[in-house]
Amino acid sequence: MNLVAANNEAYVFHLGRREKTLLTEVLGLYPRVPAGYQRLSRQGRGAEVENAQQLLDEALAEQRAENTRLVRRLLADPARLGPDPAGKGWLLRLSPSDFEWLLQVLNDIRVGSWVNLGCPEARLDLKFLAPANAPDFWAMEFSGYFQMQFLEALNHRA
Amino acid sequence: MAETVETLPVVEQDEESKPKSGLEPGYRVICWNDPVNYMDYVTHVFQVVFGWPRKKAEFHMLQVHEQGKSVLTRESLEKAEHYVHQLQRYCLHATMERDE
Repeated sequence: MNLVAANNEAYVFHLGRREKTLLTEVLGLYPRVPAGYQRLSRQGRGAEVENAQQLLDEALAEQRAENTRLVRRLLADPARLGPDPAGKGWLLRLSPSDFEWLLQVLNDIRVGSWVNLGCPEARLDLKFLAPANAPDFWAMEFSGYFQMQFLEALNHRA
Repeated sequence: MAETVETLPVVEQDEESKPKSGLEPGYRVICWNDPVNYMDYVTHVFQVVFGWPRKKAEFHMLQVHEQGKSVLTRESLEKAEHYVHQLQRYCLHATMERDE
């Protein structure tokens, strides 16, 4: 995946065929963080905090629904993710505002996969991969890969 | 926090980050360390949510990484909730705690 053009209106990435498949598959896993995972406070659970927690849960659910719509729209729009007319591969066109929700989506997939793996403190050793945990491991790694590619592009332009 | 850089920038504590006396009572917005969020990502989120320059965002990111947490700001209940919501939209481990 390479950044091939960037200006104030759009960032254009070139993706290989497998990368495009991978990105589509990874984005299709959203949302992945379990509902109720985020807590507003570590302190006591007074009525004030409980009410605020309920509002937080509702706000996060609304945001996930909106991000899901944005993902579907991106994947279904050939002007934003379509074959590269110049040759092999695909072009991904993102506006500057796309980055924020896309980073949120990718990190949700990364964190949710990590939660599914049991929140390991250390990086999982490949020798412990099994059919049961491999999908979460690879979802975590590949969402992180795309996340870093997009952050590098943003930093490159800054 | 998952490391994404090999050499870390030397950042000095700026005035806003230094402990102050006589702070307004309210709520502390805290970001906690975890082994999954990338350091560059956390820096980016701090910049976006608080509008901080990169240097200040990196200072707090390193505080989270090295000390396990960083107090990002002290605010009223409503503002603290707002910031925690924003940070959690990005799946950072953020909470608000009453300023004792």
